[in-house]
Amino acid sequence: MRNDVANRRRSFRALKILGILHITVVRTLMSSDLKNLTEKTAKLSIDPIYETNWCDMPAEIKLECIGKMKFNERLSLRCTAKAERSLVDSQKVEIDEGRFGEDNEQSTFVLLIDNKRYFVKDSKYMNDAFELLNYIKKVGDFKTLYFSLGFAVLFAVYERFHTDDGLFTAKEIEFSNGIFNTVVAVLRKIKNGVESIKLRYGGLDSDQLAGILAIPHVQNVSYWHIHDYEGTDSLHKVAQMWIDKNAKLGSTFQVSNYDDGSFAEFLEHLDDRILSKNEQRVRIRTNNADCHILLERGLNEISEIVDFPQYFRLKVISAEMKESEYDNDCKEWICIMDPEVSSDSDNSSEQSDDVHEYDD
Amino acid sequence: MSSTEQGTSSAAPAEPTTAPESAAAPEVPESFYYVHGKDKVVHKVSAGALQHSALIHGMISNLGYTEEQAKANPFPFENIDGDILQMVVDWCNQHKGKPTPPEDTNLPKQKEKLFDLVLAVNYLEIKELLTYCCKQVAMMVKGKSPEEIREIWMIPTDAEDEAAEKEAKKRAGKEAAGETAAAAGDAK
Repeated sequence: MRNDVANRRRSFRALKILGILHITVVRTLMSSDLKNLTEKTAKLSIDPIYETNWCDMPAEIKLECIGKMKFNERLSLRCTAKAERSLVDSQKVEIDEGRFGEDNEQSTFVLLIDNKRYFVKDSKYMNDAFELLNYIKKVGDFKTLYFSLGFAVLFAVYERFHTDDGLFTAKEIEFSNGIFNTVVAVLRKIKNGVESIKLRYGGLDSDQLAGILAIPHVQNVSYWHIHDYEGTDSLHKVAQMWIDKNAKLGSTFQVSNYDDGSFAEFLEHLDDRILSKNEQRVRIRTNNADCHILLERGLNEISEIVDFPQYFRLKVISAEMKESEYDNDCKEWICIMDPEVSSDSDNSSEQSDDVHEYDD
Repeated sequence: MSSTEQGTSSAAPAEPTTAPESAAAPEVPESFYYVHGKDKVVHKVSAGALQHSALIHGMISNLGYTEEQAKANPFPFENIDGDILQMVVDWCNQHKGKPTPPEDTNLPKQKEKLFDLVLAVNYLEIKELLTYCCKQVAMMVKGKSPEEIREIWMIPTDAEDEAAEKEAKKRAGKEAAGETAAAAGDAK
């Protein structure tokens, strides 16, 4: 079959070349310029007829070549024929960042690939962006998937993710704002393997936190944080979830809020598990003898940056960890949530510029 | 470049010139093996250079051939064109005992040879060269539209594929009918 196709292609190509030659010969004869015939035919730019070509390559070689192609070429190859499409789709490309947002009431979907190339789609209607997102989903795995949505389109996002069958692959998910239902709908469409979840919006309350804690990705993720949480119950609830699920070593949760009481509430709820406590840290035991949970407050000599909002970090640590091994630089982990919390204002503005680089 | 000479796989070839060696002379005499492609031109290649090919390396590792035995029994690769095998041998010699560079500038400039080289390298299991070749193949379509890619790589459209499939079925049907008729005629 492959030989048939190859032979047919060669015949097709040969006929095409003969056609070009025929036209040249007729035109040349009509002008009675026989002397230049040889010269003109010699100058014809004709691609060579390859004896062996792409279609003669076994699938594993094609896949190796596809793996070396840039994103645009993959998409082009994907459009050539059904067989090529299934090959391209079988080997996904890693997309550094997918940024799904809204700008001047236009949905915007921006892709950052190979750390230097942008693939931007601006469309008037939200559905166009969804279609593009679904298309990308078939050919790429997201490293970071970032949702920065205006409230006007949140319901549409929820509807789409709630009903869509496909699943995304993404290592890091970030919501810069949103509503609870949308966050849950999106998180439920992510395949296993999420390493980081960042929820950066106000308005998340206790009931919604319970809903988020029930999502398997949240239970298994290595790092997650909630920015500007409204209640004071997040710390003990997350710790309890980790205890119940026997969370893996290194699991980290960070939260910021403007209300007092989170630290005290944690002590109250987990009083029987406390191993050590002071103004800055509380260490509790879990049901796993190898693991403890350490709660840290974002307090240090730069008190003015941590008064409001308050920052907390929970971490599953080894039961063997000594107090001398504690991380005393809270600024470093606070900056993961709030990059602008830095004594170096120059660095802060650089980071901010980076974030908005592809919003244009 | 390694020298070659005309020969056959069955007859012992005349003495081919030795492939280029690295600047430092080896302390232990190096063993050599002989390969030929479709054109029967025999290439003398050192065991060190042949280590790039997992296939050949696996074949020779337990042979323990003497020089004479190796010369008398060149490995036949009838499915590889002579010029392609020459390119492979050259590459193996150039990269003998050296770390492979991230980019290879010695790949064939003629694109029509590239796919043949890819198939040969894949068959001979030369991983590094295969990686370079595949990158080169990918470069062929850099910045090209689907239509241009279809043209360069002669990829038939779905419609062409379907038409070819129909045609093949039709032909197979006719041939089967012809055979049946012939068999009936023979029976009479």
